[in-house]
Amino acid sequence: MEDKDVKKEEHGAPKISGDNSNDPRIIAFVCNWCTYSGADLAGTSRMKYSDNVRVIKLPCTGRIDPLFIVEAFKKGAKGVLVSGCHPGDCHYTSGNYHSRRKYATFRDLLGYLGVDLDRVEFSWVSASEGNKWVSIINEFTDKIKSLPGKSTDIFTKK
Amino acid sequence: MANTKTDEKLQKIAKDLLESGEVSLVIGYAKGSNPQRMRPLFITKPEEADKLSFNHHAVQDLAVFLKKPEVKKFGKIGIVVKGCDEKAVNALIQEYQLSRENIKIIGVECNGVIRQNLADKGETGVSESTVYDKCLICEEHTPVLYDFLVESEEPKLNLSGSVKPYAKIEELESMSADEKNAFWAKEFDKCIKCYACRQACPLCYCSRCIVEKNMPQWIDTNSEETGNAQWNLIRAYHLSGRCIGCGECERACPVNIPLMLINEKMARDINNMFGYKSGLDINAKPVFGVFSESDFNDFIK
Repeated sequence: MEDKDVKKEEHGAPKISGDNSNDPRIIAFVCNWCTYSGADLAGTSRMKYSDNVRVIKLPCTGRIDPLFIVEAFKKGAKGVLVSGCHPGDCHYTSGNYHSRRKYATFRDLLGYLGVDLDRVEFSWVSASEGNKWVSIINEFTDKIKSLPGKSTDIFTKK
Repeated sequence: MANTKTDEKLQKIAKDLLESGEVSLVIGYAKGSNPQRMRPLFITKPEEADKLSFNHHAVQDLAVFLKKPEVKKFGKIGIVVKGCDEKAVNALIQEYQLSRENIKIIGVECNGVIRQNLADKGETGVSESTVYDKCLICEEHTPVLYDFLVESEEPKLNLSGSVKPYAKIEELESMSADEKNAFWAKEFDKCIKCYACRQACPLCYCSRCIVEKNMPQWIDTNSEETGNAQWNLIRAYHLSGRCIGCGECERACPVNIPLMLINEKMARDINNMFGYKSGLDINAKPVFGVFSESDFNDFIK
């Protein structure tokens, strides 16, 4: 990531740029145990993937409150990805099962309120699936780039 | 105004409960100064019981008071509830906000309550076109759980199907994302962030709401597009799978945002996805407290 991409706001929080449809910002909320390790594997294996994504690591998908997704959109992200362990593989036994119910509901609500559902994505990526991580990020970035420039959402000012 | 048989039964139950000391407070309805309105009534003495009343103007969901600390301190409470309001009591018990032993449920059979805006214009007849949409889809005219039941003397609500409840939901579902966005942006634009929806809701009981947490400030407190949308979205999400459909938020809204279009839609989808309806069984676990390995998985890559 180049420094010019991060504009400092007055109070110091980095503002997510990426209004430019050629360089959309994508935020990925990932779990520590599976997807982060998977992304790490992709990195250590020298696989290349789109640099539009910014990864935020949390303990578990169960920790990823839908408010985080709202916050990312609010700050200008064009796409949000949530990724965790496959069902049955959760480090905390059931965090991903609980979050699956939450996201199914939240995604449904987002769609109903008029957010383009192409802009939110959910995936299961295990620690050994560096390849899957790369393809998910690349496909998601392509999808976001193909969206019309002024795609709608209810979180940003018109 | 003369007491109806329903009123007399209610008064007797409340009087007995207070006299025997089984409860120290009864929450019910009393006739308002305007005959077309009912107001909430709190009684602590048996001799006050004769003020209790119930009819098709008893719109308010009294379960909302059960979350108030000043009501909780009475300990054992009796409450007059319609079928829909009773579901809120169940949901509160399910979520450990209320103990079954501490509440005496005085259920009243209800055949629909008249829309308050029509009642204010003089409407007194219960019919398909005068009751709330929630009454048209109501499956709990008789409360699902009660300690005492007061039967209704009024005729059953006749449904011919000519009025389609919550018809706008299907219309919205068939719209494109842009059209939906335009619809909701216009609705949320009216929001003045008074939080009346939250205050009127029997299930919004958090002593500190997410909107009041400011470290960090999750939801913008400004009353303009962005903050409004976040607030209404997050409130709807926090009520998904919990809302019992009493419609109080929509009735309390001073700018008439059709909040029940969101709540009802989420209730339907939760039922489709997880086979769960809120407030029907006090022994059921809340929908987000449990999971199934075979849950809806189609949206995940």
